[in-house]
Amino acid sequence: MMKTQNLVATLTLTLGLLAAVTGCQHKPVNTTIIPDLQNKPVANAPSTEAPGTAITPSNPVTSTPEGTAETYGNYTNLFDNPHNDNRDQFKADIVYFDFDSSTIKASEETKLQEVAAYFKGNQKAEALIIEGNCDERGTEKYNLSLGERRALAAREYLVNLGVDSHRIKTVTYGASRPAEPGKGEEHWKKNRRDEFVLITPKQ
Amino acid sequence: MKVKIQHIIAALMGAVSAMSAMADGTTELTVTKTGTHMVKVSLSGFTGEAESVLKFDLSVLGMEITPPDTAEYLVAGHENGRIEGTLSVAGSTRPLWARTYAGAATRSQAHAFADDIVKEIRQTAPIFQGRIAFRLEKGGATEIYVADFDGANPIPLTHDGALVQGPSWAPGGQRLFYTSWKNGATQILEHNLETGMRRVFAGYPGTSFSPEVSPDGQKVAMILSMGGSPNLYVSDIGGGNPRQLTHSRDEDSSPCWSPDSRTICFVCRKGRARLETIGVEGGQPQPVRVGIAGNLTAPDWSPDGKWIAFTSGSGNFSLWVMPAGGGVAQQLVEGEDPCWAPNSRTIIFSRRANNKRILCLLDVPTKHVKDVRQLSGSCSEPSWAR
Repeated sequence: MMKTQNLVATLTLTLGLLAAVTGCQHKPVNTTIIPDLQNKPVANAPSTEAPGTAITPSNPVTSTPEGTAETYGNYTNLFDNPHNDNRDQFKADIVYFDFDSSTIKASEETKLQEVAAYFKGNQKAEALIIEGNCDERGTEKYNLSLGERRALAAREYLVNLGVDSHRIKTVTYGASRPAEPGKGEEHWKKNRRDEFVLITPKQ
Repeated sequence: MKVKIQHIIAALMGAVSAMSAMADGTTELTVTKTGTHMVKVSLSGFTGEAESVLKFDLSVLGMEITPPDTAEYLVAGHENGRIEGTLSVAGSTRPLWARTYAGAATRSQAHAFADDIVKEIRQTAPIFQGRIAFRLEKGGATEIYVADFDGANPIPLTHDGALVQGPSWAPGGQRLFYTSWKNGATQILEHNLETGMRRVFAGYPGTSFSPEVSPDGQKVAMILSMGGSPNLYVSDIGGGNPRQLTHSRDEDSSPCWSPDSRTICFVCRKGRARLETIGVEGGQPQPVRVGIAGNLTAPDWSPDGKWIAFTSGSGNFSLWVMPAGGGVAQQLVEGEDPCWAPNSRTIIFSRRANNKRILCLLDVPTKHVKDVRQLSGSCSEPSWAR
Protein backbone atom coordinates (compact mmCIF):
# COMPACT_ATOMS: atom_id res chain seq x y z
CA MET A 1 0.00 0.00 0.00
CA MET A 2 2.85 2.28 0.92
CA LYS A 3 4.49 1.44 -2.34
CA THR A 4 1.38 2.39 -4.29
CA GLN A 5 1.14 5.75 -2.52
CA ASN A 6 4.77 6.45 -3.30
CA LEU A 7 4.19 5.59 -6.94
CA VAL A 8 1.16 7.88 -7.10
CA ALA A 9 3.12 10.70 -5.51
CA THR A 10 6.01 10.22 -7.91
CA LEU A 11 3.71 10.03 -10.91
CA THR A 12 1.81 13.12 -9.87
CA LEU A 13 5.01 15.05 -9.33
CA THR A 14 6.42 13.91 -12.68
CA LEU A 15 3.22 14.79 -14.45
CA GLY A 16 3.24 18.25 -12.90
CA LEU A 17 6.85 18.79 -13.93
CA LEU A 18 6.14 17.63 -17.45
CA ALA A 19 3.21 20.00 -17.69
CA ALA A 20 5.42 22.84 -16.52
CA VAL A 21 8.15 21.94 -19.00
CA THR A 22 5.99 21.39 -22.06
CA GLY A 23 3.35 23.96 -21.36
CA CYS A 24 0.85 21.67 -23.04
CA GLN A 25 -1.46 21.26 -20.09
CA HIS A 26 -2.85 24.74 -19.86
CA LYS A 27 -1.95 26.05 -23.28
CA PRO A 28 -4.66 28.46 -24.38
CA VAL A 29 -6.41 27.66 -27.62
CA ASN A 30 -4.71 29.86 -30.21
CA THR A 31 -6.61 31.32 -33.07
CA THR A 32 -5.01 31.78 -36.44
CA ILE A 33 -6.60 34.51 -38.52
CA ILE A 34 -6.24 33.61 -42.18
CA PRO A 35 -5.64 36.50 -44.55
CA ASP A 36 -8.33 36.44 -47.19
CA LEU A 37 -6.24 35.21 -50.12
CA GLN A 38 -9.36 34.26 -52.05
CA ASN A 39 -10.27 37.90 -52.50
CA LYS A 40 -6.74 39.07 -53.08
CA PRO A 41 -6.73 40.53 -56.57
CA VAL A 42 -5.01 38.73 -59.38
CA ALA A 43 -5.19 41.09 -62.29
CA ASN A 44 -5.83 39.66 -65.70
CA ALA A 45 -4.17 41.03 -68.75
CA PRO A 46 -6.09 44.19 -69.50
CA SER A 47 -8.47 43.87 -72.40
CA THR A 48 -7.38 47.16 -73.88
CA GLU A 49 -3.93 48.57 -74.19
CA ALA A 50 -2.62 49.23 -70.72
CA PRO A 51 -1.07 52.66 -70.34
CA GLY A 52 2.56 52.65 -69.36
CA THR A 53 3.37 49.22 -70.69
CA ALA A 54 5.82 48.50 -73.46
CA ILE A 55 3.08 46.90 -75.51
CA THR A 56 2.76 49.47 -78.26
CA PRO A 57 -0.45 50.71 -79.89
CA SER A 58 0.37 48.70 -83.01
CA ASN A 59 0.44 45.56 -80.85
CA PRO A 60 -2.55 46.00 -78.55
CA VAL A 61 -3.35 43.41 -75.93
CA THR A 62 -6.45 41.98 -77.47
CA SER A 63 -9.08 39.87 -75.81
CA THR A 64 -10.15 36.61 -77.38
CA PRO A 65 -12.83 34.32 -76.03
CA GLU A 66 -11.47 31.28 -74.23
CA GLY A 67 -11.10 28.12 -76.23
CA THR A 68 -10.86 29.89 -79.56
CA ALA A 69 -8.06 28.58 -81.66
CA GLU A 70 -5.68 31.20 -82.88
CA THR A 71 -5.01 31.71 -86.53
CA TYR A 72 -1.91 29.77 -87.39
CA GLY A 73 1.23 31.91 -87.20
CA ASN A 74 0.09 35.46 -87.89
CA TYR A 75 3.15 37.53 -88.74
CA THR A 76 1.54 40.84 -89.70
CA ASN A 77 2.73 42.41 -86.44
CA LEU A 78 6.35 41.78 -87.38
CA PHE A 79 6.32 44.32 -90.18
CA ASP A 80 5.63 48.03 -90.29
CA ASN A 81 3.65 48.00 -93.56
CA PRO A 82 0.78 45.69 -94.51
CA HIS A 83 2.00 42.31 -95.74
CA ASN A 84 0.67 39.01 -96.98
CA ASP A 85 1.66 35.75 -95.31
CA ASN A 86 1.85 33.18 -98.09
CA ARG A 87 2.24 29.65 -96.79
CA ASP A 88 1.15 27.94 -100.00
CA GLN A 89 4.17 28.93 -102.06
CA PHE A 90 6.50 26.44 -100.40
CA LYS A 91 3.95 23.81 -99.41
CA ALA A 92 5.85 21.17 -101.38
CA ASP A 93 9.13 22.17 -99.77
CA ILE A 94 8.48 21.23 -96.15
CA VAL A 95 11.77 19.95 -94.79
CA TYR A 96 11.57 16.86 -92.57
CA PHE A 97 13.97 15.74 -89.85
CA ASP A 98 15.01 12.54 -88.12
CA PHE A 99 14.00 12.03 -84.50
CA ASP A 100 15.77 14.41 -82.11
CA SER A 101 17.93 15.73 -84.94
CA SER A 102 18.36 19.12 -86.58
CA THR A 103 20.61 17.88 -89.38
CA ILE A 104 19.40 18.66 -92.91
CA LYS A 105 19.09 15.28 -94.61
CA ALA A 106 20.35 14.79 -98.17
CA SER A 107 16.77 14.00 -99.23
CA GLU A 108 15.66 17.48 -98.14
CA GLU A 109 18.38 19.55 -99.81
CA THR A 110 16.61 20.00 -103.16
CA LYS A 111 13.64 21.54 -101.32
CA LEU A 112 15.90 24.14 -99.77
CA GLN A 113 17.52 24.79 -103.15
CA GLU A 114 14.05 25.43 -104.61
CA VAL A 115 13.17 27.83 -101.80
CA ALA A 116 16.45 29.71 -102.26
CA ALA A 117 16.03 29.94 -106.05
CA TYR A 118 12.46 31.22 -105.81
CA PHE A 119 13.24 33.70 -103.08
CA LYS A 120 16.27 35.16 -104.84
CA GLY A 121 14.47 35.35 -108.19
CA ASN A 122 11.25 36.95 -106.98
CA GLN A 123 11.13 40.74 -106.73
CA LYS A 124 8.16 40.69 -104.39
CA ALA A 125 9.71 38.25 -101.96
CA GLU A 126 10.48 40.54 -99.06
CA ALA A 127 11.07 38.15 -96.20
CA LEU A 128 10.95 34.48 -95.35
CA ILE A 129 9.72 32.99 -92.11
CA ILE A 130 11.04 29.54 -91.21
CA GLU A 131 8.90 27.70 -88.69
CA GLY A 132 10.62 24.89 -86.75
CA ASN A 133 8.48 22.07 -85.33
CA CYS A 134 8.95 18.87 -83.32
CA ASP A 135 7.07 15.68 -82.61
CA GLU A 136 5.56 15.23 -79.15
CA ARG A 137 8.31 13.02 -77.74
CA GLY A 138 10.15 15.73 -75.86
CA THR A 139 9.47 17.94 -72.86
CA GLU A 140 8.05 21.32 -73.85
CA LYS A 141 11.01 23.61 -73.26
CA TYR A 142 13.36 21.11 -74.86
CA ASN A 143 11.17 21.03 -77.96
CA LEU A 144 11.15 24.81 -78.18
CA SER A 145 14.94 24.82 -78.47
CA LEU A 146 15.01 21.87 -80.85
CA GLY A 147 12.39 23.50 -83.10
CA GLU A 148 14.44 26.70 -83.18
CA ARG A 149 17.61 24.75 -83.98
CA ARG A 150 15.80 23.07 -86.90
CA ALA A 151 14.65 26.45 -88.27
CA LEU A 152 18.20 27.80 -87.90
CA ALA A 153 19.61 24.77 -89.74
CA ALA A 154 17.47 25.61 -92.78
CA ARG A 155 18.38 29.28 -92.44
CA GLU A 156 22.10 28.45 -92.48
CA TYR A 157 21.60 26.34 -95.60
CA LEU A 158 19.74 29.14 -97.40
CA VAL A 159 22.31 31.75 -96.41
CA ASN A 160 25.02 29.50 -97.82
CA LEU A 161 23.06 29.53 -101.08
CA GLY A 162 23.19 33.31 -101.12
CA VAL A 163 19.90 34.31 -99.48
CA ASP A 164 20.23 37.54 -97.48
CA SER A 165 20.31 36.49 -93.81
CA HIS A 166 18.55 39.69 -92.76
CA ARG A 167 15.47 38.69 -94.71
CA ILE A 168 15.03 35.35 -92.93
CA LYS A 169 13.23 35.13 -89.62
CA THR A 170 13.05 31.93 -87.56
CA VAL A 171 10.19 30.95 -85.26
CA THR A 172 9.93 27.83 -83.12
CA TYR A 173 6.64 26.17 -82.22
CA GLY A 174 8.08 23.21 -80.32
CA ALA A 175 5.47 20.46 -80.46
CA SER A 176 2.53 22.86 -80.21
CA ARG A 177 1.67 22.84 -83.92
CA PRO A 178 1.63 19.25 -85.11
CA ALA A 179 0.84 18.79 -88.80
CA GLU A 180 -0.76 15.49 -87.85
CA PRO A 181 -1.90 14.90 -84.32
CA GLY A 182 -1.64 11.24 -83.39
CA LYS A 183 0.78 8.69 -82.06
CA GLY A 184 3.26 6.56 -83.92
CA GLU A 185 6.13 7.20 -86.27
CA GLU A 186 3.82 7.66 -89.31
CA HIS A 187 2.47 10.80 -87.62
CA TRP A 188 5.57 11.90 -85.77
CA LYS A 189 7.72 11.96 -88.91
CA LYS A 190 5.35 14.51 -90.47
CA ASN A 191 5.58 16.75 -87.42
CA ARG A 192 9.39 16.99 -87.27
CA ARG A 193 9.61 19.71 -89.89
CA ASP A 194 10.43 23.20 -91.10
CA GLU A 195 7.73 25.12 -92.93
CA PHE A 196 8.33 28.25 -94.98
CA VAL A 197 6.11 31.34 -95.10
CA LEU A 198 6.72 33.88 -97.86
CA ILE A 199 6.15 37.50 -96.88
CA THR A 200 5.14 39.87 -99.69
CA PRO A 201 3.97 43.49 -99.53
CA LYS A 202 0.21 43.95 -99.67
CA GLN A 203 -0.76 45.63 -102.94
CA MET B 1 -7.07 2.54 -6.34
CA LYS B 2 -5.74 0.25 -8.96
CA VAL B 3 -8.01 1.82 -11.58
CA LYS B 4 -6.86 5.26 -10.54
CA ILE B 5 -3.21 4.35 -10.97
CA GLN B 6 -3.90 3.04 -14.45
CA HIS B 7 -5.53 6.34 -15.38
CA ILE B 8 -2.59 8.29 -14.07
CA ILE B 9 -0.13 6.10 -15.92
CA ALA B 10 -2.14 6.53 -19.13
CA ALA B 11 -2.17 10.28 -18.63
CA LEU B 12 1.53 10.27 -17.94
CA MET B 13 2.25 8.24 -21.07
CA GLY B 14 0.16 10.67 -23.05
CA ALA B 15 2.10 13.60 -21.69
CA VAL B 16 5.39 11.90 -22.52
CA SER B 17 4.26 11.24 -26.11
CA ALA B 18 3.05 14.78 -26.41
CA MET B 19 6.31 16.14 -25.18
CA SER B 20 8.41 13.97 -27.42
CA ALA B 21 6.37 15.08 -30.40
CA MET B 22 6.74 18.71 -29.48
CA ALA B 23 10.46 18.61 -28.85
CA ASP B 24 12.17 18.06 -32.16
CA GLY B 25 14.12 14.94 -32.89
CA THR B 26 13.21 12.70 -29.97
CA THR B 27 13.67 9.09 -30.85
CA GLU B 28 10.11 7.83 -30.56
CA LEU B 29 8.65 9.75 -33.48
CA THR B 30 11.68 10.32 -35.63
CA VAL B 31 10.69 7.67 -38.12
CA THR B 32 7.19 8.98 -38.69
CA LYS B 33 8.40 12.55 -39.06
CA THR B 34 11.04 12.16 -41.70
CA GLY B 35 10.54 8.63 -42.98
CA THR B 36 9.46 7.37 -46.30
CA HIS B 37 6.39 5.49 -45.12
CA MET B 38 2.80 6.65 -45.48
CA VAL B 39 1.75 8.03 -42.09
CA LYS B 40 -1.67 6.81 -40.95
CA VAL B 41 -3.89 9.66 -39.80
CA SER B 42 -7.53 9.54 -38.71
CA LEU B 43 -9.86 12.42 -39.42
CA SER B 44 -13.03 12.97 -37.43
CA GLY B 45 -15.66 15.62 -36.96
CA PHE B 46 -15.27 17.38 -40.29
CA THR B 47 -17.66 17.33 -43.23
CA GLY B 48 -18.00 18.89 -46.65
CA GLU B 49 -15.31 21.20 -47.96
CA ALA B 50 -13.26 21.25 -44.76
CA GLU B 51 -13.06 17.45 -44.78
CA SER B 52 -12.22 17.18 -48.47
CA VAL B 53 -9.51 19.83 -48.26
CA LEU B 54 -7.93 18.19 -45.19
CA LYS B 55 -8.01 14.76 -46.85
CA PHE B 56 -6.44 16.10 -50.02
CA ASP B 57 -3.73 18.10 -48.28
CA LEU B 58 -2.65 15.35 -45.90
CA SER B 59 -2.55 12.90 -48.80
CA VAL B 60 -0.23 15.25 -50.72
CA LEU B 61 2.34 14.92 -47.93
CA GLY B 62 2.18 11.12 -47.93
CA MET B 63 -0.48 10.50 -45.31
CA GLU B 64 -3.17 7.88 -45.45
CA ILE B 65 -6.57 8.49 -43.87
CA THR B 66 -7.44 5.50 -41.67
CA PRO B 67 -9.88 4.65 -38.85
CA PRO B 68 -8.76 5.91 -35.41
CA ASP B 69 -7.80 2.44 -34.12
CA THR B 70 -5.06 2.01 -36.72
CA ALA B 71 -3.96 5.66 -36.92
CA GLU B 72 -0.62 7.02 -35.74
CA TYR B 73 -2.07 10.52 -35.42
CA LEU B 74 -5.61 11.69 -34.80
CA VAL B 75 -6.99 14.86 -36.33
CA ALA B 76 -10.30 15.97 -34.87
CA GLY B 77 -12.47 19.03 -34.72
CA HIS B 78 -15.32 20.76 -36.46
CA GLU B 79 -16.17 23.62 -38.74
CA ASN B 80 -18.85 26.24 -38.18
CA GLY B 81 -17.65 29.39 -39.88
CA ARG B 82 -14.30 28.78 -38.28
CA ILE B 83 -12.29 25.62 -37.93
CA GLU B 84 -11.44 24.31 -34.50
CA GLY B 85 -9.07 21.40 -34.64
CA THR B 86 -6.75 19.25 -32.58
CA LEU B 87 -3.84 17.00 -33.42
CA SER B 88 -3.06 14.05 -31.16
CA VAL B 89 -0.62 11.20 -31.13
CA ALA B 90 -2.43 7.84 -31.04
CA GLY B 91 -2.72 6.49 -27.52
CA SER B 92 -2.42 9.90 -25.96
CA THR B 93 -5.35 11.34 -24.08
CA ARG B 94 -4.27 14.91 -24.61
CA PRO B 95 -3.80 16.56 -27.97
CA LEU B 96 -0.46 17.99 -29.01
CA TRP B 97 -2.32 21.20 -29.63
CA ALA B 98 -5.75 22.68 -30.24
CA ARG B 99 -6.10 25.59 -32.62
CA THR B 100 -8.78 27.75 -34.17
CA TYR B 101 -8.72 29.11 -37.70
CA ALA B 102 -10.89 32.11 -38.53
CA GLY B 103 -11.24 34.57 -41.38
CA ALA B 104 -11.21 33.98 -45.14
CA ALA B 105 -12.99 31.01 -46.71
CA THR B 106 -13.39 27.52 -45.25
CA ARG B 107 -10.91 26.25 -47.85
CA SER B 108 -8.23 28.63 -46.62
CA GLN B 109 -8.89 27.78 -42.98
CA ALA B 110 -8.62 24.07 -43.75
CA HIS B 111 -5.38 24.62 -45.71
CA ALA B 112 -3.91 26.54 -42.75
CA PHE B 113 -4.92 23.75 -40.34
CA ALA B 114 -3.38 21.16 -42.69
CA ASP B 115 -0.18 23.23 -42.87
CA ASP B 116 0.10 23.08 -39.07
CA ILE B 117 -0.57 19.32 -39.01
CA VAL B 118 2.07 18.67 -41.66
CA LYS B 119 4.58 20.92 -39.92
CA GLU B 120 4.17 18.77 -36.81
CA ILE B 121 4.27 15.37 -38.49
CA ARG B 122 6.59 15.94 -41.45
CA GLN B 123 8.61 18.89 -40.16
CA THR B 124 8.28 20.68 -43.48
CA ALA B 125 7.51 24.23 -44.52
CA PRO B 126 3.87 25.11 -45.28
CA ILE B 127 2.75 24.81 -48.91
CA PHE B 128 -1.03 24.51 -48.82
CA GLN B 129 -1.69 28.22 -49.20
CA GLY B 130 0.61 28.45 -52.21
CA ARG B 131 -0.14 29.24 -55.81
CA ILE B 132 0.82 27.69 -59.10
CA ALA B 133 0.89 28.94 -62.67
CA PHE B 134 0.57 26.66 -65.67
CA ARG B 135 -0.31 26.51 -69.32
CA LEU B 136 -3.80 25.39 -70.33
CA GLU B 137 -4.50 24.24 -73.87
CA LYS B 138 -8.10 23.93 -75.00
CA GLY B 139 -9.46 23.67 -78.50
CA GLY B 140 -6.13 24.70 -80.00
CA ALA B 141 -5.83 27.86 -77.88
CA THR B 142 -3.35 28.18 -75.07
CA GLU B 143 -3.46 30.54 -72.10
CA ILE B 144 -1.56 30.98 -68.84
CA TYR B 145 -3.56 30.23 -65.69
CA VAL B 146 -2.94 30.84 -62.02
CA ALA B 147 -4.59 28.64 -59.38
CA ASP B 148 -4.23 27.45 -55.81
CA PHE B 149 -1.67 24.64 -55.55
CA ASP B 150 -4.49 22.06 -55.60
CA GLY B 151 -6.05 23.47 -58.79
CA ALA B 152 -8.85 25.31 -57.01
CA ASN B 153 -9.75 28.89 -57.95
CA PRO B 154 -8.24 28.83 -61.45
CA ILE B 155 -7.90 32.24 -63.09
CA PRO B 156 -7.01 32.74 -66.76
CA LEU B 157 -4.24 35.28 -66.79
CA THR B 158 -3.98 35.77 -70.53
CA HIS B 159 -6.70 36.14 -73.16
CA ASP B 160 -4.52 36.48 -76.21
CA GLY B 161 -5.76 33.54 -78.26
CA ALA B 162 -2.14 33.03 -79.21
CA LEU B 163 0.40 30.38 -78.37
CA VAL B 164 1.93 30.90 -74.93
CA GLN B 165 4.32 28.75 -72.92
CA GLY B 166 6.39 28.27 -69.82
CA PRO B 167 5.19 30.52 -66.98
CA SER B 168 7.89 31.30 -64.41
CA TRP B 169 7.34 33.21 -61.18
CA ALA B 170 9.50 35.99 -59.88
CA PRO B 171 10.12 35.54 -56.13
CA GLY B 172 7.24 36.90 -54.10
CA GLY B 173 4.55 35.63 -56.43
CA GLN B 174 3.47 38.99 -57.84
CA ARG B 175 5.09 38.81 -61.27
CA LEU B 176 5.11 36.12 -63.93
CA PHE B 177 7.33 35.74 -66.96
CA TYR B 178 6.29 33.64 -69.95
CA THR B 179 6.92 33.10 -73.65
CA SER B 180 4.26 34.51 -75.96
CA TRP B 181 3.70 34.31 -79.70
CA LYS B 182 1.01 36.98 -79.68
CA ASN B 183 3.10 39.37 -81.74
CA GLY B 184 4.14 36.75 -84.28
CA ALA B 185 7.66 35.94 -83.18
CA THR B 186 8.35 34.66 -79.69
CA GLN B 187 8.81 37.25 -76.99
CA ILE B 188 9.25 36.98 -73.26
CA LEU B 189 6.54 38.94 -71.48
CA GLU B 190 6.62 40.14 -67.90
CA HIS B 191 3.17 40.24 -66.31
CA ASN B 192 2.46 42.14 -63.11
CA LEU B 193 -0.35 40.28 -61.35
CA GLU B 194 -1.31 43.23 -59.16
CA THR B 195 -1.90 45.68 -61.97
CA GLY B 196 -2.35 43.44 -65.00
CA MET B 197 0.31 45.47 -66.76
CA ARG B 198 2.50 43.60 -69.18
CA ARG B 199 5.69 44.53 -70.92
CA VAL B 200 7.93 42.91 -73.47
CA PHE B 201 10.83 41.71 -71.35
CA ALA B 202 12.87 40.24 -74.21
CA GLY B 203 12.26 40.28 -77.93
CA TYR B 204 15.66 39.97 -79.51
CA PRO B 205 16.46 39.14 -83.14
CA GLY B 206 15.99 35.41 -83.58
CA THR B 207 13.77 34.01 -80.87
CA SER B 208 13.54 34.57 -77.13
CA PHE B 209 12.00 32.00 -74.81
CA SER B 210 12.07 29.91 -71.60
CA PRO B 211 12.60 32.64 -68.97
CA GLU B 212 13.55 31.65 -65.41
CA VAL B 213 13.92 34.28 -62.69
CA SER B 214 16.75 33.79 -60.19
CA PRO B 215 15.70 33.06 -56.57
CA ASP B 216 17.21 36.38 -55.44
CA GLY B 217 15.03 38.17 -57.98
CA GLN B 218 17.99 39.92 -59.59
CA LYS B 219 18.45 38.07 -62.88
CA VAL B 220 16.62 36.17 -65.60
CA ALA B 221 18.02 33.14 -67.40
CA MET B 222 16.56 32.51 -70.85
CA ILE B 223 17.22 31.00 -74.26
CA LEU B 224 18.01 33.42 -77.10
CA SER B 225 19.03 32.53 -80.64
CA MET B 226 20.49 35.88 -81.71
CA GLY B 227 24.00 34.43 -81.58
CA GLY B 228 23.11 31.83 -84.25
CA SER B 229 22.06 28.97 -81.97
CA PRO B 230 19.55 28.64 -79.14
CA ASN B 231 21.95 29.33 -76.25
CA LEU B 232 21.72 30.24 -72.59
CA TYR B 233 21.74 33.95 -71.68
CA VAL B 234 21.36 35.84 -68.42
CA SER B 235 20.09 39.40 -68.18
CA ASP B 236 19.39 41.78 -65.33
CA ILE B 237 15.87 41.66 -63.91
CA GLY B 238 15.08 44.88 -65.75
CA GLY B 239 15.83 43.11 -69.04
CA GLY B 240 19.07 44.89 -69.80
CA ASN B 241 22.61 43.62 -70.21
CA PRO B 242 21.96 40.15 -71.71
CA ARG B 243 25.10 38.04 -71.49
CA GLN B 244 25.66 34.87 -73.50
CA LEU B 245 26.80 32.05 -71.20
CA THR B 246 26.95 29.10 -73.63
CA HIS B 247 28.19 28.93 -77.19
CA SER B 248 27.46 25.43 -78.46
CA ARG B 249 26.06 24.95 -81.94
CA ASP B 250 23.55 22.43 -80.64
CA GLU B 251 20.64 23.87 -78.75
CA ASP B 252 20.49 24.56 -75.02
CA SER B 253 17.21 24.59 -73.11
CA SER B 254 15.34 24.50 -69.79
CA PRO B 255 17.44 26.64 -67.44
CA CYS B 256 16.86 26.46 -63.66
CA TRP B 257 18.65 28.20 -60.79
CA SER B 258 20.49 27.02 -57.71
CA PRO B 259 18.90 28.58 -54.59
CA ASP B 260 21.91 30.86 -54.07
CA SER B 261 21.37 32.29 -57.60
CA ARG B 262 24.99 31.60 -58.51
CA THR B 263 24.65 28.51 -60.70
CA ILE B 264 22.34 27.54 -63.54
CA CYS B 265 21.50 23.96 -64.44
CA PHE B 266 20.35 23.53 -68.03
CA VAL B 267 19.92 21.01 -70.82
CA CYS B 268 22.45 20.80 -73.62
CA ARG B 269 22.71 18.30 -76.42
CA LYS B 270 25.89 16.38 -76.90
CA GLY B 271 24.67 13.41 -78.90
CA ARG B 272 21.62 13.36 -76.67
CA ALA B 273 20.08 15.67 -74.15
CA ARG B 274 21.96 15.89 -70.88
CA LEU B 275 22.30 18.19 -67.88
CA GLU B 276 25.09 20.66 -67.27
CA THR B 277 25.71 23.47 -64.80
CA ILE B 278 27.38 26.81 -65.38
CA GLY B 279 28.20 29.75 -63.11
CA VAL B 280 26.13 32.88 -63.57
CA GLU B 281 29.28 34.70 -64.68
CA GLY B 282 29.92 32.10 -67.39
CA GLY B 283 32.94 29.84 -67.78
CA GLN B 284 33.19 26.20 -68.68
CA PRO B 285 29.92 24.24 -68.29
CA GLN B 286 30.23 21.22 -66.00
CA PRO B 287 28.40 17.97 -66.74
CA VAL B 288 25.99 16.82 -64.04
CA ARG B 289 26.91 13.22 -63.29
CA VAL B 290 23.63 11.42 -63.07
CA GLY B 291 24.69 7.81 -63.45
CA ILE B 292 21.93 6.95 -65.92
CA ALA B 293 21.63 7.13 -69.68
CA GLY B 294 18.75 8.62 -71.60
CA ASN B 295 17.47 11.96 -72.75
CA LEU B 296 17.62 14.08 -69.62
CA THR B 297 15.58 17.29 -69.72
CA ALA B 298 13.49 19.74 -67.66
CA PRO B 299 15.63 20.00 -64.50
CA ASP B 300 14.51 21.85 -61.37
CA TRP B 301 16.71 22.59 -58.36
CA SER B 302 15.09 22.16 -54.94
CA PRO B 303 14.79 25.37 -52.86
CA ASP B 304 16.93 23.83 -50.09
CA GLY B 305 19.69 23.26 -52.63
CA LYS B 306 20.00 19.54 -52.00
CA TRP B 307 18.31 17.99 -55.02
CA ILE B 308 17.84 18.32 -58.74
CA ALA B 309 14.70 16.74 -60.14
CA PHE B 310 14.57 16.08 -63.87
CA THR B 311 12.81 14.16 -66.63
CA SER B 312 14.17 11.17 -68.50
CA GLY B 313 12.86 9.58 -71.65
CA SER B 314 11.44 10.28 -75.09
CA GLY B 315 7.69 10.01 -75.12
CA ASN B 316 7.45 7.72 -72.10
CA PHE B 317 8.72 10.10 -69.46
CA SER B 318 9.74 9.44 -65.90
CA LEU B 319 10.71 11.75 -63.07
CA TRP B 320 14.04 11.34 -61.34
CA VAL B 321 15.79 13.02 -58.46
CA MET B 322 19.48 13.22 -57.70
CA PRO B 323 21.74 14.95 -55.15
CA ALA B 324 22.57 18.41 -56.54
CA GLY B 325 26.28 17.81 -56.04
CA GLY B 326 26.16 14.68 -58.20
CA GLY B 327 25.49 11.07 -57.36
CA VAL B 328 23.11 8.29 -58.10
CA ALA B 329 19.75 9.38 -59.46
CA GLN B 330 16.61 7.67 -58.17
CA GLN B 331 13.61 7.03 -60.34
CA LEU B 332 10.39 8.37 -58.86
CA VAL B 333 7.24 8.00 -60.99
CA GLU B 334 5.99 8.43 -64.55
CA GLY B 335 5.66 12.06 -65.57
CA GLU B 336 7.55 15.09 -66.85
CA ASP B 337 8.51 18.68 -66.15
CA PRO B 338 8.93 18.66 -62.34
CA CYS B 339 8.78 21.83 -60.24
CA TRP B 340 9.60 21.80 -56.52
CA ALA B 341 7.27 23.25 -53.92
CA PRO B 342 8.83 25.58 -51.30
CA ASN B 343 9.07 22.64 -48.86
CA SER B 344 11.68 20.85 -51.03
CA ARG B 345 9.66 17.67 -50.56
CA THR B 346 6.63 18.05 -52.83
CA ILE B 347 6.92 18.21 -56.62
CA ILE B 348 4.26 19.33 -59.05
CA PHE B 349 4.60 17.82 -62.52
CA SER B 350 2.57 16.96 -65.59
CA ARG B 351 1.47 13.59 -66.85
CA ARG B 352 0.01 12.57 -70.20
CA ALA B 353 -3.27 10.69 -69.94
CA ASN B 354 -6.06 10.08 -72.48
CA ASN B 355 -4.72 12.56 -75.04
CA LYS B 356 -4.49 15.34 -72.50
CA ARG B 357 -2.06 16.46 -69.86
CA ILE B 358 -2.88 16.78 -66.20
CA LEU B 359 -1.00 18.23 -63.24
CA CYS B 360 -0.06 15.99 -60.35
CA LEU B 361 1.53 16.39 -56.94
CA LEU B 362 4.25 14.00 -55.83
CA ASP B 363 5.46 13.38 -52.28
CA VAL B 364 9.06 12.52 -53.11
CA PRO B 365 10.04 10.33 -50.10
CA THR B 366 6.90 8.16 -50.26
CA LYS B 367 6.44 8.46 -54.06
CA HIS B 368 2.75 9.05 -53.39
CA VAL B 369 1.00 10.85 -56.29
CA LYS B 370 -2.15 12.95 -56.04
CA ASP B 371 -3.78 14.47 -59.12
CA VAL B 372 -4.54 18.18 -58.99
CA ARG B 373 -8.21 19.07 -59.43
CA GLN B 374 -8.92 18.66 -63.12
CA LEU B 375 -9.86 21.47 -65.44
CA SER B 376 -11.34 21.07 -68.87
CA GLY B 377 -8.33 21.31 -71.13
CA SER B 378 -4.78 20.09 -71.15
CA CYS B 379 -2.61 21.44 -68.30
CA SER B 380 1.17 21.45 -68.38
CA GLU B 381 4.33 23.37 -67.45
CA PRO B 382 3.47 23.94 -63.78
CA SER B 383 5.44 26.57 -61.86
CA TRP B 384 5.10 26.92 -58.09
CA ALA B 385 5.27 30.44 -56.67
CA ARG B 386 8.16 30.37 -54.20
